[in-house]
Amino acid sequence: MTKKYDAIIIGAGVIGAPIAYELSKMGYKTMSVDKLPDAGEGSTAGSCAIVRAHYSTEDGVAFAYEGFKYWLDWENYLDHVKDEKGLAKFMNTGSLLIKSQGHKWQNVKKHYDAVGVKYKELTNEEILEMVPVLDLHEFWPVKRPEDPAFWEEPTKMLEGGLFCPEGGYVNDPTLSAHNIMRAAEAKGATFMFNAEVVKIRAAEGKVQGITLADGTEIDAPVVVNCAGPHSFKINQMAPGVWEGCNIKTKALRHEVMYCPAPEDYDYINKGYHQSDGDIGCYVRPEVGNLFLIGSEDPECDPKEYPDPDEFYAGRGGHGRDNQLTEEQWKAQCYRLGRRIPTLKVPNQPKGVCDLYDCSDDWIPVYDKSDLGGFYMAVGTSGNQYKNAPVVGRMMAELIDACEKGLDHDKKPFQYKMKYIGRTLNVGFFSRKREINYNSSFSVNG
Amino acid sequence: MKRVCCGRPVFFVKPESGMNRKIMNIYVCVKHVPDSAATITVEGGTGINEKITFLLNPYDEHAVTEAARIKTGLPDAEVVAVCLGKPTAETTLRAAMAMGADRGILIETDRPQDSIFTALALAAAIQSDGRPWIIFTGKESIDSEGMQTQFRLAENLSLPVATNVIKVDIDGDGVRVESEREAGTIDVIRMTAPCVIGAGKGLNTPNYPTFPDIVKSRKKPVRRIGLADLAIESPAAGMQIQELVPAVEQRTPRALTGSAADIAAQIVDILKNEAKVI
Amino acid sequence: MNSIGLLIEFNDGRVKEANFGMATAARGENRNLVALVADGPAEDAQAVLEAYGVARIVNIRSGNRSWDPARQAAAVAAAMQKLEIDSLIGLTSPSGRELLPRIAARLGAPLIMDCIDIDLEAHRVRTSQYSGKTIATIALTGSHFIYGMRANVVPALKEPAEAEIIDFSFDGYQDTGYEVIETRTDGSGAHYLAEADIIISGGRGLKRAENFKLLFDCARHMNASVGASRVAVDNGWVPYAMQVGQTGVKVNPKVYMAVGISGSVQHFAGMKTARMIIAINTDENAAIMANCDYFAVGDLFEILPELEKALAAAKRSKEVA
Repeated sequence: MTKKYDAIIIGAGVIGAPIAYELSKMGYKTMSVDKLPDAGEGSTAGSCAIVRAHYSTEDGVAFAYEGFKYWLDWENYLDHVKDEKGLAKFMNTGSLLIKSQGHKWQNVKKHYDAVGVKYKELTNEEILEMVPVLDLHEFWPVKRPEDPAFWEEPTKMLEGGLFCPEGGYVNDPTLSAHNIMRAAEAKGATFMFNAEVVKIRAAEGKVQGITLADGTEIDAPVVVNCAGPHSFKINQMAPGVWEGCNIKTKALRHEVMYCPAPEDYDYINKGYHQSDGDIGCYVRPEVGNLFLIGSEDPECDPKEYPDPDEFYAGRGGHGRDNQLTEEQWKAQCYRLGRRIPTLKVPNQPKGVCDLYDCSDDWIPVYDKSDLGGFYMAVGTSGNQYKNAPVVGRMMAELIDACEKGLDHDKKPFQYKMKYIGRTLNVGFFSRKREINYNSSFSVNG
Repeated sequence: MKRVCCGRPVFFVKPESGMNRKIMNIYVCVKHVPDSAATITVEGGTGINEKITFLLNPYDEHAVTEAARIKTGLPDAEVVAVCLGKPTAETTLRAAMAMGADRGILIETDRPQDSIFTALALAAAIQSDGRPWIIFTGKESIDSEGMQTQFRLAENLSLPVATNVIKVDIDGDGVRVESEREAGTIDVIRMTAPCVIGAGKGLNTPNYPTFPDIVKSRKKPVRRIGLADLAIESPAAGMQIQELVPAVEQRTPRALTGSAADIAAQIVDILKNEAKVI
Repeated sequence: MNSIGLLIEFNDGRVKEANFGMATAARGENRNLVALVADGPAEDAQAVLEAYGVARIVNIRSGNRSWDPARQAAAVAAAMQKLEIDSLIGLTSPSGRELLPRIAARLGAPLIMDCIDIDLEAHRVRTSQYSGKTIATIALTGSHFIYGMRANVVPALKEPAEAEIIDFSFDGYQDTGYEVIETRTDGSGAHYLAEADIIISGGRGLKRAENFKLLFDCARHMNASVGASRVAVDNGWVPYAMQVGQTGVKVNPKVYMAVGISGSVQHFAGMKTARMIIAINTDENAAIMANCDYFAVGDLFEILPELEKALAAAKRSKEVA
C-alpha cells in the first residue's frame, strides 16, 4: 500500500527536522525518513555545534545572527514541547575572532556593522586578560608539522581580535535535532527511521514520491533533500536534479579533536569559542575541561572525499566510531599547542571523524530543483548547524511559495528574517549561482 | 659479559657503589603498539594491517612519566627510552622523549618478536649502552598482552622485578615500591638497585608534552642498533603466532519490556534458568 | 604418562573454584595431573583435588613466611625440574600474573597468559590479542611450557581419582634483592573482577558516586562483583581497580550486566567475551543495546531497586527450599 503525504523530507538531522517542523506548522502533512535509527544520529552528531556570527558575506552574517536568536529562545522555538531526553542547551560563551591573515576579518567587521552584530575590538593585551594561556605571536601561514617551516620561531605579533559577546555552542547537537523532531511531531509530523531511500520517483517533470530499501513506496508532491553527506547521492536519484545544479556537493572527511585544557585553565567554565585563522583552528570548550579543536581546512591539509556509504559502513552507521589519523591529530593539536604553550597533547588521538556535505564554494544550496516539487537544503559544508532553525523556516516558506506558483529561478523568493527584520534574497543560495568567490572556501562559510 | 646458562644467555649487571653518572641511568623499555581505538584487520594470516595509528603503549606512558619524575631530583640521572621495533617505531621513541626521556635507542627489527627474544634484545641493548639503575617497563603491552617481558628482562639481567607498580620511592641504595596485586591488595616491596619495575596504571597521571616539550624532543638523539650488532643467540624456546583471526561477536539482542518490576523479574528468571548463576 | 602441573590457588584456605575448570581442561589420555601447592594447605585440599582427577599433590615449601612471589616461583620451577613436570597450567589471576611469568623466566620457557583454549599435546593455545579484537593461535616451543588460563573458560567436571602427597622442600633460593615487606588490604574483600561469575557494572548513567550503592545492593544478593566504565572512574565515582575495559580489567564472567553504560569500543574490549550480556539503559540507541543478549530500555533508578527486591526474594526462596 502506498502512503500519501504532502511532503517528504529525506533526512532527520538538524536541517531536515526543522523543515519538517515548519512545514507542519504551515499545515503540511509531512513524512521524514532517515536511514539511521533516530534523529540527529548522522553527521549532525559529529557537528561541533558552534554558534557564531562571523561569515565572509553580509548575508551569511545576517543569517547566522538570526539563527543565534533562535538558540537563545530555544524553548519558545520548540513551542514548549516535552522531550523525554531533555533539551539541548545553548552555552553562550562569547566568540573571539583572532585578527589574522587567515580570515578576511576586515570584511567580517564591516558585515557586523551592517547587520548590527554586537562586538568589541580587542588589543592583544585585552585578549590576554580574557584568555591568559595564549601566545599571541603570528604563526601564519598555516603549515603542517611535516613541513620543517612549521617549527620555525615566530617573530611578529598578532593584532588583536573581534569579540562578540553573543555566541557559543550547543552542548548536544544530536539532542537538538531530537528536540526539533519532538516539536514537529507535536504539530503532526511523522518520522520514520531505519528507512533508506533507494529511488526518487518522478513523472512528467514532477516528483511523485520515494521508494525505500524495503520496497515501501511513499508518495508526496513535495520531496526535500536534507540528506547531509548523502545529499549528492539523493540528487543523483532524482531525474535531472544533479545535472541541473551548477553548484555541486560532495562528502568531505573531517576530523575534530579533543585535547585536555592546561590544568590551571578552567576552560569549560571561563573559556570562549575562538576562531583563529592564523593557525587554521577554531576551538570551544567540551565537557571534561577539554578543548574541542576544529580545523578551518587550510590549503596545506589533505582533503579526502569518500563515498559516504563506504565511510559509514560497518561503523554503527555514524562517524563517531571512525578513525582519526595520527597525522591530523598532531597537525591540529600542535597548531593549537603553538598558540597555547601549556597545552598538553596526549599520545592517543581522541575526537570525532565525520563528513561535511561540502559544496563547491562552501556556501549551502537552499533551493528548488529542475524537477518539479523536488527541493534541496544541501551543501551545508560544516557551517550551517547554527542556522538550522532559520533554514527550516526559510525552506518551508520557499517551498510553500513555489508550490503556490512562484518561479523562484526567475524571481527569487525574498525571505524576511523574523528577529533581525532583514530581508534575504534566497537566490543567494541558488543551485544555479556561479561560484561565490567572496566565500572563505572553508568551514567559515 | 655474556654466558649461557640453561640454554639461554645471561647478562650480569653488578651494582656499583658511588653515584657516578653511569649507574644513574634510568632505562624505560617502550613498545610501539596499535591505538586501542584502531580497527584491527588481519592480514596475511598472522599479522595485521599496519596502516593504522601506532602509539606509545599506554602503560609505558606511566613508566616514562615516573622515570622523568625520579630524574627531577637527581641531576646526574639520564632517562633512556629503549624500543625494539620496526624503523617506524621511532615515533614512539619521540613520544617518550617528548614526555621526558633524554635520548632513545631503537633496536631495529623487520618483524614482530616474541617476549623471549624481545627481553634478550632489550637486555643486550641496555648492556651495550650503560649501567642501569632502574629499568622501567609497562606492566603489559596492549597489543600482544603477553604480561611477561619485564620478568624475562629481569631474569636475563639477574635483577629483581616488581609488576603493576603504583608507587615508587627511592630508598637508600634500593627502591621501595607498591605493587597492586589485585583490587584492594597492595604488596609493599623493597628491591635493591638495579631493578626492573613494571608500571601499572595507578602509578601516576601521564605527563603529556606541551608544544615546547615536543620542540625539544625533536633534537634529542636516537641511536639505531641493528639486531645483528647485538649478536643475540637464537633462544631455544619461542612463541610463534600460527593464525590470527578476527574475534567474532554475534549476539542477538532481545528486549526486556514492561514495568521496572517486570524487567527485574525477567532478569532474575534469566539469571536463574538460562545463565544458571543464581 | 605425561605429567601436567596445575598451579593451585587458595582463597581463605579453600581451593579456588576456577582451579577445577583448569583441572578439567588438563585431563586427557595418558595424563597425570600434578597439583602444585606452594606454601598452601595441601593436605586440606586433597579431597577436593582428588574429585577433579588429581593424581599427585606436591606440597611445596619455599621457606616463605608470607607471600613472596620471587621465592615461590623459584620453588615451583625447582619442583617442576625435580619431578620432571614439563607443562604447567595456572590461572591468569593476581597471583598467577606474578608467579607464572617468573616461573617461565626462570625456566627459559614459553608462556602464554590468558589462554582461552589449550592443546597440551601440540603445545598450542588460543588467546585474545589486540584487546579482544582478534584471537591468536600460538605455538610454543621449548623444553617446558607454561600456560596461564583465563578463569571459567572450561566448566568444571568431576572425575574422581586418588592422589598421593609428595613433599618438596625448596632450599636453593638465592636472595635476588626482592623482598615483600608488607601486604596491605583495604578490607573491602572485593572479588577480583577478572574471576567473577557475575559482574554488574555502572557507567555514566549512575550519575554520582553514591548511586553505586544500588549496584552493590544487587551484587550482594547474587554474589556478583561490581565493575565500572571508564567514565565512572574518570569522574572519581569509583576506584580505578573497578574499571572494566581496554585500560582496565578484562573480564570473562558468565553474566555481565551493564547498567547505564553506553558500550564504547574500549569498554567492549574488556567484557566482550562474557557469556551473556544484559544491558540496562535509557538510551535505546546506545551501542551496547545492539551488542548484548538482553536489553531493557528504562530508568536504572527504577529498575535496580526492583531488581534488588527480586534477587533478595529469589535468594530467600532458595534458602527455604
